[in-house]
Amino acid sequence: MIFENNQIQTLIFQAIDELNALREEELIDKSPSTALYGQASPLDSVDLVNLLLSIEEFLEDEFDISFTIANEKAMSLKNSPFKSVASLTDYLTTELATADS
Amino acid sequence: MLEAQFIGFLLERFEQNRDKDAIVWREQVYSYAWLKDKVETWHQALIDSDIEHGHVVMVEADYSPSSIALLIALIEYQAIIVPITDSVSHKKEEFIETAQAEYLIQIAADDSCQFTSLNQNAEHDCFSKLRSEKVPGLILFSSGSTGKSKAAVHDLAKLLEKYKVPRHALRAITFLLYDHIGGVNTLLYTLSNAGCVITVADRKPDTVLAAVDKFSADLLPTSPTFINLILISEAYQRHQLTSLKTVTYGTEPMPESTLLRFNKQFPHIKLLQTYGLSELGILRSKSKDNDSLWVKIGGEGFETRVTGDNILEIKAYSGMLGYLNAPSPYTEDGWFHTGDQVEVDGEYMRILGRKSEIINVGGQKVYPAEVESVLQQLDFIAESEVYGEKNALLGNVVCAKLRLNTLAAEQDKKTLKRQIKQHCSQSLESFQVPAKFKFDDSEQFSPRFKKMRTL
Repeated sequence: MIFENNQIQTLIFQAIDELNALREEELIDKSPSTALYGQASPLDSVDLVNLLLSIEEFLEDEFDISFTIANEKAMSLKNSPFKSVASLTDYLTTELATADS
Repeated sequence: MLEAQFIGFLLERFEQNRDKDAIVWREQVYSYAWLKDKVETWHQALIDSDIEHGHVVMVEADYSPSSIALLIALIEYQAIIVPITDSVSHKKEEFIETAQAEYLIQIAADDSCQFTSLNQNAEHDCFSKLRSEKVPGLILFSSGSTGKSKAAVHDLAKLLEKYKVPRHALRAITFLLYDHIGGVNTLLYTLSNAGCVITVADRKPDTVLAAVDKFSADLLPTSPTFINLILISEAYQRHQLTSLKTVTYGTEPMPESTLLRFNKQFPHIKLLQTYGLSELGILRSKSKDNDSLWVKIGGEGFETRVTGDNILEIKAYSGMLGYLNAPSPYTEDGWFHTGDQVEVDGEYMRILGRKSEIINVGGQKVYPAEVESVLQQLDFIAESEVYGEKNALLGNVVCAKLRLNTLAAEQDKKTLKRQIKQHCSQSLESFQVPAKFKFDDSEQFSPRFKKMRTL
């Protein structure tokens, strides 16, 4: 399914809203430069997994697409797609273009 | 009178209590005089039949005056007894084959009986041992939630030993089934102390509590799942439970929230955790308190130890001889590896769950019962099952399958999920909070009122 970059970004922001709703620490900034992983990131690995699962759920509920984001391929890429909102947006736009819906 | 070798102590107690209630079945009361007579009649019927000492005899029945008397007569007759109930009717052929049953005795719902020869000869080292020692045997099947049911062979003469010590006479509901180690234990304990066996037609909360009320039961041996059902059905509002002094629970880990809710509702009822296995029998146990999951287990005939990775191991005097269809599970020095992970504090331990059910999230352990306990604090959740799902980032993530109360079933799932996660975050670490939810209307328990771990 073909998505525009900004459609995907909106999905990721929706997922960030979900995380923020349960958050007691500082809220996660809805910005393309927000780091999703690593030292500079406000997210820990459990947060990241919850974020990805939320996005998967939106894809499933709103577009009827069943897609596992943290798959073997994503894990083995040299430039991790989980670095920032921007890198995840690019990765998902590319991957979903070829994924079955 | 029957010259009894194995059941002498039982018949003696039956004789001393001739006028006391032995069994309640279909609202009718049967006395110990009646039961003693019936045991002797059954014993004579066995002598007159083609069944010989040491034969493997399957008994398909539920608790009834005949099935109870027959079981006792078969013990004296040195049969190798295989009790089965309706709950395993879909596995009957498999059980006949595994147990190598030579005879089938069926006790119908109207208490009539039928003998059938199954035209096979049972040969196994365990059977040879029982036959050469001229002792009765008992075959119990494990629930087999994972794979094929395993058949455990017991020396019944040894198993009976512990019932010779006199204890309190209790009026007990036979909630646990006739073919379950807990059910066999309730039956033998009650009869050997001249208590009363109160049978129930089915195991719905209202049926069971109505029987408690009408026949003044003081003991209800059950499971955590059923205790939860009593609470959510509110059946206790429709029946008087003033006679009930003790509720015992075992067979699966108890969610702490269920225990606390029950204790709050019924502060006068003593709550005791039991620990037993088809392979070893029921151990004596003592809960630290009504609202505590800490329990002392062991007692005469049992020794316990905990391995380096916190798995409980037990040595039992009356442990099974072996499985019919699996290799010996005993360690070289004769201990049984239970597979249950425990936490130890002095003399007490807390059962955390089957090692195989523990979810490893990024190297941290999550016990399903602990998360289920928190989920069930929410009024709109009727039942929950927590399980792990593979995840490339963390190894596994925690998932929950939920059955909602009818009121909540119509609500927006997204809002509910957010509410549930919020609630869980208050008392659980973030890695323990379920990341995925499934909503399902079907009931999550087996015919034995044990949570079905299906996922």
